[in-house]
Amino acid sequence: MVATGGRFYSMEQTLKHIRKNRFVYGVAVGATMGSLVILGSFFLLFGNLNAWIKSWGHTFSMTVYLQDDISDFKRDKVDSFIRGLPGAEISKYISKKQAMADLKSALGPESVLLDRLSRNPLPASYEIIFEGEGEDFEKNIREIRGNLEKLDGVEEVQFNHEWLKRLDPLIRNMSLAGIFVGIILCLGVLFILTNTIKLVIYARKEEIEIQKLVGASDWFVKKPFVFEGAAIGAAGGVGALLILLSGYLIFAAKKINFLGLITLDFVFLPAEYILFLLFIGVALGVAGSLIAVARFIST
Amino acid sequence: MIQLFRLFKKFGDHTALHDVSMHVAKGEFVFITGPSGAGKTTLLRLIHGSEKPSSGNILVDSINLSRISRVRLDLLRQKIGYVFQDFKLLPNRTVSENVSIALEIMGAPDSVIQSKTRQVLEFVGLKKKAHLLPLVLSGGEQQRVAIARAMVKDPLILLADEPTGNLDSDLTTRIMEMFKEIHQRGATVVVATHSRELLENNDFRTIVLNQGII
Repeated sequence: MVATGGRFYSMEQTLKHIRKNRFVYGVAVGATMGSLVILGSFFLLFGNLNAWIKSWGHTFSMTVYLQDDISDFKRDKVDSFIRGLPGAEISKYISKKQAMADLKSALGPESVLLDRLSRNPLPASYEIIFEGEGEDFEKNIREIRGNLEKLDGVEEVQFNHEWLKRLDPLIRNMSLAGIFVGIILCLGVLFILTNTIKLVIYARKEEIEIQKLVGASDWFVKKPFVFEGAAIGAAGGVGALLILLSGYLIFAAKKINFLGLITLDFVFLPAEYILFLLFIGVALGVAGSLIAVARFIST
Repeated sequence: MIQLFRLFKKFGDHTALHDVSMHVAKGEFVFITGPSGAGKTTLLRLIHGSEKPSSGNILVDSINLSRISRVRLDLLRQKIGYVFQDFKLLPNRTVSENVSIALEIMGAPDSVIQSKTRQVLEFVGLKKKAHLLPLVLSGGEQQRVAIARAMVKDPLILLADEPTGNLDSDLTTRIMEMFKEIHQRGATVVVATHSRELLENNDFRTIVLNQGII
């Protein structure tokens, strides 16, 4: 019987080594998977936040609060004014009663506090949506807002876009925190992988020394370890994606009702994020192997 | 093929080789002899590039080992067959894999690896034991695996360190025949031995090393 060798030599060695060091590699895959799940959760969170913000960014919505004592006549006037606006659509009219019901539903058990109120302080309102983008559009919207505020019976007009803008710094800070946590996690994975591969290298110290004595190039020695690192990273990445997908299917594959006002679709990671997560896993595996073997060969 | 100029090798306070100069021509068969501790193994390791000299120069195939890069040293070692005194076989690989690794390192095609490994194992009489692990073989058989690994790549230079130590005379004769065969194929052969029998029965140039001095 003769060895297969040649082109598939490194692949054969990789499979052999993984079979032989199942436990060590299992731990490394688990650690990689755990870290990538955390990283992937950040991706999920930011991916969805960005998607929501983007979709809101294209849709200007405005809430027109009516005065409490508005007559039906004045309300009809406001109603027809809004319907006459180009590109505007009344998404809903929320009566005072409905506003209170929505707030109660959003507050849940805490809503009993509202029962103590002698009168309903919430105003009736119109939710208006304008489709469009660009500076001219925004200028036009601001003019409309001014005209609406001048209407008799209108208490206040609020751009929903404004509170979204107030969210920007918070989201930016969260993104920075995400990047920071991501880097820390990647360094952690790199550390774990480097040390795992080091353990395996020390177990094969004699073999590597003999290979070098027989004339093996550094790359010949490194190759099986690089494949092993890539396999650990890929397995960790696939495992992490499966966990994230399971979590998504169990907890988030439903529409999220935001304070009873907006319904948000929670989506899974887009393809580029999935590929990126797998790429990070494989890249960290390869980098961990290269660092570990390079250190060993140089000594 | 091998030239040593004023070579010194020290391990701490101990001088293993003292002002050694020698020359081995291309295609020559040379014995290096001397008592245990004379510096034979150190000399072979220096020629192989596994040790660096404390001073002096070594030229192997016109390459100065004092200034050789790691990559060139790897390539040079691919042209050198080395039969180590302790065999240095990979314990978790079969006999066949131990031999074929020399060709795999050189990047030989699968077909060449298979046919040459088969041929050389047949030559050393281990074809039937190709699938066994080295540890189940006798000392003499392990020695032959080491020789097979050294000769499978048709080396330019064959270095053998005490290749017949602890072997009976029949096996010694057989192993010497193998070395002569490699030599006839054009390789330069350097055998370090303290066996009188080997030296007396083979009419090749002998370099005597004593306490690190030629």
